[in-house]
Amino acid sequence: MANMDDDLADETVFVVEDVRKVVKESIEVTIGDNAYQQNRVNQWTTNVVEQSLSQLSKLGKPFKYIVTCVIMQKTGAGVQSASACFWDNTTDGNCSVTWENKSMYCIVSVFGLAI
Amino acid sequence: MDTSDAYIIRPNHRHKFKPAVVRECIREIVRERLSAAKYDPKEVSEQSRSLADCVRDKVKCAGFDRYKLVVQVVIGEQRGQGVKMMSRCLWDADTDNYAEDVFFNFVLCGDCFWNLLLLRIRRYSIRDER
Repeated sequence: MANMDDDLADETVFVVEDVRKVVKESIEVTIGDNAYQQNRVNQWTTNVVEQSLSQLSKLGKPFKYIVTCVIMQKTGAGVQSASACFWDNTTDGNCSVTWENKSMYCIVSVFGLAI
Repeated sequence: MDTSDAYIIRPNHRHKFKPAVVRECIREIVRERLSAAKYDPKEVSEQSRSLADCVRDKVKCAGFDRYKLVVQVVIGEQRGQGVKMMSRCLWDADTDNYAEDVFFNFVLCGDCFWNLLLLRIRRYSIRDER
């Protein structure tokens, strides 16, 4: 009986490492070594986000997810992202992945809220 | 304790999240705090954090009970670079929603170096079903 409770407790905790792995893979597969191109960035952001979301839903956890992706060309400009949440600290969580190649930055944030 | 409230798993239309109301809240706070601001790498971290906290606290008081909130603020300095931001959500479309506001601040400096602040705030609400 205690084991079943432990399993259920594991199910409803946001595991940052699993999510980070999923997101990194989506970015590598979608963007890889490509140089920043204005006419392709729309497609890249859509693909990164949709692929991350579909892999996250395949994890099979009882969570609602919000995935945001920012792709920014490298020109020396600064960017800052902050978030504030009102949720349940024991079950909900977020994961932010910053990835870069020679010509652009990609910042993906995932928020997971337990149902 | 009001026991009838414990069995409600969907909000009625009066208590549903209203994006228009929240967008107004966001717009007001952003314009008040950022209209005269310049991008400063030392200050922007504190600025963005306090902006997110402020929006979250204001929306908490707007009366959307039993909702979880996520507020995201992105502030960027514009130097002619291309930027694209995109998001997707996996949620209950009947109860959950979002409001966003984009703000551009144009400040012309003495040496013709243009600073623009790109701000996007996303506020999501997730119905806490208990």
